[in-house]
Amino acid sequence: MPHISYQNREIAFKLVYYGPGMSGKTTNLIQIHKSLPKDLRGEMLNLDTEEERTLFFDFFPLELGNVEGYAVRFNMYTVPGQVYYEASRRLILQGADGVVFVADSQPQRFDENLESFHSMSENLRDFGIDFERYPLALQYNKRDCVDPIPIGSLEKELGLNGVPVVEAVANQGTGVMETIRNLSRDVVQRFQL
Amino acid sequence: MAETGYESDDPRVILETLVDRSGAITTLLITKEGTTVAEAGQTDYLNTTAMAALVAGMFSATREVARMVGERQFSILLQQGESRHIHISLIGDSEMMVVVFEDYQRIGRVRHEARRAGEGLAKAQADRNDNQQVAQDLSVPEFKEYALNLIDRIFADR
Repeated sequence: MPHISYQNREIAFKLVYYGPGMSGKTTNLIQIHKSLPKDLRGEMLNLDTEEERTLFFDFFPLELGNVEGYAVRFNMYTVPGQVYYEASRRLILQGADGVVFVADSQPQRFDENLESFHSMSENLRDFGIDFERYPLALQYNKRDCVDPIPIGSLEKELGLNGVPVVEAVANQGTGVMETIRNLSRDVVQRFQL
Repeated sequence: MAETGYESDDPRVILETLVDRSGAITTLLITKEGTTVAEAGQTDYLNTTAMAALVAGMFSATREVARMVGERQFSILLQQGESRHIHISLIGDSEMMVVVFEDYQRIGRVRHEARRAGEGLAKAQADRNDNQQVAQDLSVPEFKEYALNLIDRIFADR
């Protein structure tokens, strides 16, 4: 459920990029931020460690525009992917209206994708979210790697049906906008008062 | 019950009163999800959207720390800087009030006023929940149609 302020006439959705460490979540956000007109995007906030991994989260607000007299905003977050930041991931996921799962297509990362996905679905279930009816987009990132995992292999292993899937090379911008478009459409289509 | 001056159903009015009485520079009311509900005082020096996101994250992290030491949560956070300080308090279950102030000698005043403002905000929040304010003027089908059009335009492949 998005945050609706009747006094400020504003509706804010929270979208979160989730996935294993180094799968390209921050890169997705940076590419989206770069592609948007300056008047729509807010400043991007990066909280990196010295090793340039996301410590807490990356964030930027996007002013979608005015709809029916309400300012519509998407607040976009990434979670830190590294295993030891589980508590941070859980916090950021709380209240999310939809999630992009960024999977790493390198074959040696297959199990980490599964592990990360399981932790995400467990967290969402803990928040009382019916995972089957939740806006989710799956992105197979790094499709330019050697011998990428086949499309469909993660869905098969995870028992996912009907999740929109996008192939991406996020550092070149490929598939990035299609992914966020899929998720945002799903989030808005499920919106109700 | 005696009036405190913080009786209003508009959070912004309560925050403005708090600024006046405490001498704070800025006050914000934000949700646990990191969205700004209302703000008062000077805000031109501050990216309030980013601030709300960060404070919500900080408060959540602190809640985990509280649990580790056997507390459900810490209801107040105080950050002391060299010249500016931040007092953050929980409002009900879902919101937080941030007070930015300069003179640390005034911490007692800030805490006192923040507590009273917090009571006013909690009541306003409960009334809002009771009333289940529904935007009568918001037509969901039309909202969706416009929003989907915006999404297709803004997130077009480039």
